[in-house]
Amino acid sequence: MNGFLGTHYGKIRKPWRQMILFALAWLIVSLLLTVPSWSEETSRPTLAIKAARVHIGNGRTIDRPVILIQDGRIQAVGSDLSLPDHIQIIEIDGGSVTPGLIDANARLESADMIPASRKGPGQQGPGGRAAISRDERPCHDSQVPLHVGDEEDPTGLADLAAGVRAGVVVSEQGSEVVPHTRVLDSVNFCSSDFQRLVQGGVTTIYASPDASAVIGPRGAILKTAGPMDQRVLVAEAAVKATIGTEPNRLGSYNQSPYRNSVSLYTRRPNSRMGLTWVFRKAFHDAIRRKDGLVAYGADTSSPEASRVLYEVLEGKIPLRIQARIQQDIHTAIRLCDEFKLRFTLEEATEAYRCIESIQASAAPVIFGPIFERPNGIRAFNNESNRSRYSTFRALLEAGVPTSLSAQDLREEDGLARQAMHAMRFGVDFEDALKAVTQTPARMLGLDGQIGTIESGKQADLVVWRGQPFAATSMVVMVFIDGNIVVDRR
Amino acid sequence: MILRCTLWIVVLFTTLAVDSHAAPPSKLALQGGRIIPVCGPEIPKGTVLIEDGTITAIGETVKIPYDATVIDVSEKVLFPGMISPHASQGLDRPNENLPVTPYLDVYDAIDPSSLFFEDALRDGVLAVHVIQGNNCVLGGLSRLVRPIGRTPDEMTIRPSLALKLSASPKSGSDRMQQMAAFRETFLELAFYLENLAEKRYEEELAKEKKEIDVGPEEARKRGAPLIRKEDLDDRHRNLVQLTEGQLDAWIYCDAATDVGPAINLAKEHGFLDRSIFVLGTEAYRAVQELKKADRPVVLPPDLVHRERDPITGELSETFIPEVIHEAGLLFALQPNPDSSLAERYLNYQAARCVRHGIPRQKALESITLNPARMLGMEDRLGSLEVGKAGYVVVLSGDPLDFNTWVEKAYVDGILAYDRTKDVRLKELLDLEEKSAEKEKQKEQENVESATQEEKQKESPAETKTDEKTGKEGEQDSEEGQKNEEEERDDK
Repeated sequence: MNGFLGTHYGKIRKPWRQMILFALAWLIVSLLLTVPSWSEETSRPTLAIKAARVHIGNGRTIDRPVILIQDGRIQAVGSDLSLPDHIQIIEIDGGSVTPGLIDANARLESADMIPASRKGPGQQGPGGRAAISRDERPCHDSQVPLHVGDEEDPTGLADLAAGVRAGVVVSEQGSEVVPHTRVLDSVNFCSSDFQRLVQGGVTTIYASPDASAVIGPRGAILKTAGPMDQRVLVAEAAVKATIGTEPNRLGSYNQSPYRNSVSLYTRRPNSRMGLTWVFRKAFHDAIRRKDGLVAYGADTSSPEASRVLYEVLEGKIPLRIQARIQQDIHTAIRLCDEFKLRFTLEEATEAYRCIESIQASAAPVIFGPIFERPNGIRAFNNESNRSRYSTFRALLEAGVPTSLSAQDLREEDGLARQAMHAMRFGVDFEDALKAVTQTPARMLGLDGQIGTIESGKQADLVVWRGQPFAATSMVVMVFIDGNIVVDRR
Repeated sequence: MILRCTLWIVVLFTTLAVDSHAAPPSKLALQGGRIIPVCGPEIPKGTVLIEDGTITAIGETVKIPYDATVIDVSEKVLFPGMISPHASQGLDRPNENLPVTPYLDVYDAIDPSSLFFEDALRDGVLAVHVIQGNNCVLGGLSRLVRPIGRTPDEMTIRPSLALKLSASPKSGSDRMQQMAAFRETFLELAFYLENLAEKRYEEELAKEKKEIDVGPEEARKRGAPLIRKEDLDDRHRNLVQLTEGQLDAWIYCDAATDVGPAINLAKEHGFLDRSIFVLGTEAYRAVQELKKADRPVVLPPDLVHRERDPITGELSETFIPEVIHEAGLLFALQPNPDSSLAERYLNYQAARCVRHGIPRQKALESITLNPARMLGMEDRLGSLEVGKAGYVVVLSGDPLDFNTWVEKAYVDGILAYDRTKDVRLKELLDLEEKSAEKEKQKEQENVESATQEEKQKESPAETKTDEKTGKEGEQDSEEGQKNEEEERDDK
């Protein structure tokens, strides 16, 4: 090449030609230098996971798979994939891989929510004991005051006046109808509750508000770990309504309005009749306001709430209803029939008593947890006493789209164990897996992004030592968006 | 005289016969199952022979007596009855308000009709060590029972097994009070015994019509061996038995800080070699002390200790059996009745240990043989071997598989539980009615289709005239044929 250039240089002695030649040479050299880095950009060898078996989540399994991950997404899954050079390989002998588990009705620890409790999260419990016993965990511990204001502003009016600026409690207590508030605003992303979730293999949750309002705040769909800017998948998800005794049991200022004027300290429904009335009135208010009429009466919901509820009526915002006992499930179905609403049923402890009605209403169910005797947040009411092992299986057999949730249970006791319980009580492994991966992903409207291990989806994976959901198996690794977030190797 | 003697003997024998009313089938052979004896290697297909409530033969080929009841357990797993080492749930109330109550006995508070015992049987726990709760200083007597029987007497395997002690204060109390109470109790015991010895010496002298001739110290010395069992009152009798070696001590240590004082206490009063340490979640940290004492431990029901770093807020967890196993201590597991469900099963607790890398054999021992050793019953319970009592659980699969069910349970060779007759479980699983309904529906469909086919054959002209009914009839008959085909396939 040099000789060739040189000959030219000898023959044609013109400065502009010389310049062109130099430019050409520089171009070629620079191109040669950039080629390798450019090829790296296109098929970046990020990560390959090798295991004994992968459960895709849609009923298929692949033996001895390779899962290729690129930019936090799954590039390919297969047993006969060729591995690119310079790729990071994680190989787990005898391990099996499932999609990251999805809890479509998770209850975040209220003590960790800003600023639900006057006590800091580390200070709770007697004698400075840091261990989290089950007794200290429930969302609705009566010792943890669900207060509106703080000490400087005991009435909490300033907070209310500023809207629900900080997300005062898990559910806003100012009114029974608060669908314009968001759970997201009160989520503490540094909470160790997320750590406990992810250690149990849960990668995505629907952060559900508590049941202390008839029509409560909107939930949020969150990743349980990873960089902050990627954690929120959906900021404003479904509106949560509750039918049952919870709104009147859990409300912090739920005194009877006897001889007092109705204020934010006296909330109305003391019975299922009152509760149903509040539900109905809220939607009627929304319709009246939409028609340009004035909503009036003692329990009138705010215009902001009406705006949201009208979108619910239009089907733009999904609705969830928590109902546990048979009677409440029927009420939920009846109310939604009245307003032509589509809804998702939460909890449905006594669904086995009204399977036909649920089938007819076409409502999907987020069932769980499976238990015999209630404990934790379910222990102190009369709605959880008639639970059965078979309910989840019965719902599946009836063809009702049903996902499983562990709600406030965590880690070992969490979502994976719900699937394990389901299997003990007669559900196939694949159905149990679907109920904690694909089905909840569909219910959250995110089945294009999460829920199965297919190319293009987010690389949320759980690696198990042994068969998933077996008593002797352990969650070895958890990946969220292709990043290792739990590593017990 | 001879007549009287024979009469007495007859009376005695008849009463004995009446007492042992629940006579087991004298000979029982469980044939063809996979046997996990725990004390030795597995037998892939073998037979367990139980005669008069005791295992008399076990192995691949066992000569079955001609008059034995043979039960086929092929494709099932035979496992020793599991043992719950520390339970206060069978009591109407787990604790007495008073701190020092060595005169109490759980015998008076066991409720045989309690759902706890029913569940125990259903879960394959065939021996329960019922003991007072942890809110005491020095509690009452414990008792080993089987979960069958209408009275505490019928249930009892071994009465007055151990005394409950707690090195950790109940809420509202503190550790100084706790230890002061122990000191006071044993000082008072010494004082009482001295006085009693003096009194006894005086009594003995009085029999010979003598007056006391020595100083009080000498009198105490001479009187000490004269103390008879009946001289002691209830409170002190049990304490004396504790210090002299007839009773075991089960000492609860909630935190690691309680382990040292508990060991010292036991050493000081001479019952360390008969002490079992019942640990709270945090007490595992004192593993070095426990190792030095080399005494068995009962692990807390929630096998994981979680802790938040005070600075970073990071949550760390420790699997307690892992630490205890590494230290080489003998340990037993407890079921967790507060759990949502799974940890209620003792075999699931063992499965958790295997999950965390503890050898399978050790995990199985921790729910059978180890508690039997702690309770001093290793000659009768805890494994399947010749000479031990017939406490056998028939499982549908491996004990460490969560999908395994207890099919049958034999207590002293008596069939105490049969899953096919468990009404409560059937209701929880919603089993029987549904399958029965389905069968009925099928039968009805078959009958209907058959009758309609017959009708068609009998009167083809009628169906032709009425098109609608004819079509329906055809459809039905097709369905009927399909049903029949399905049935054939099933066969």
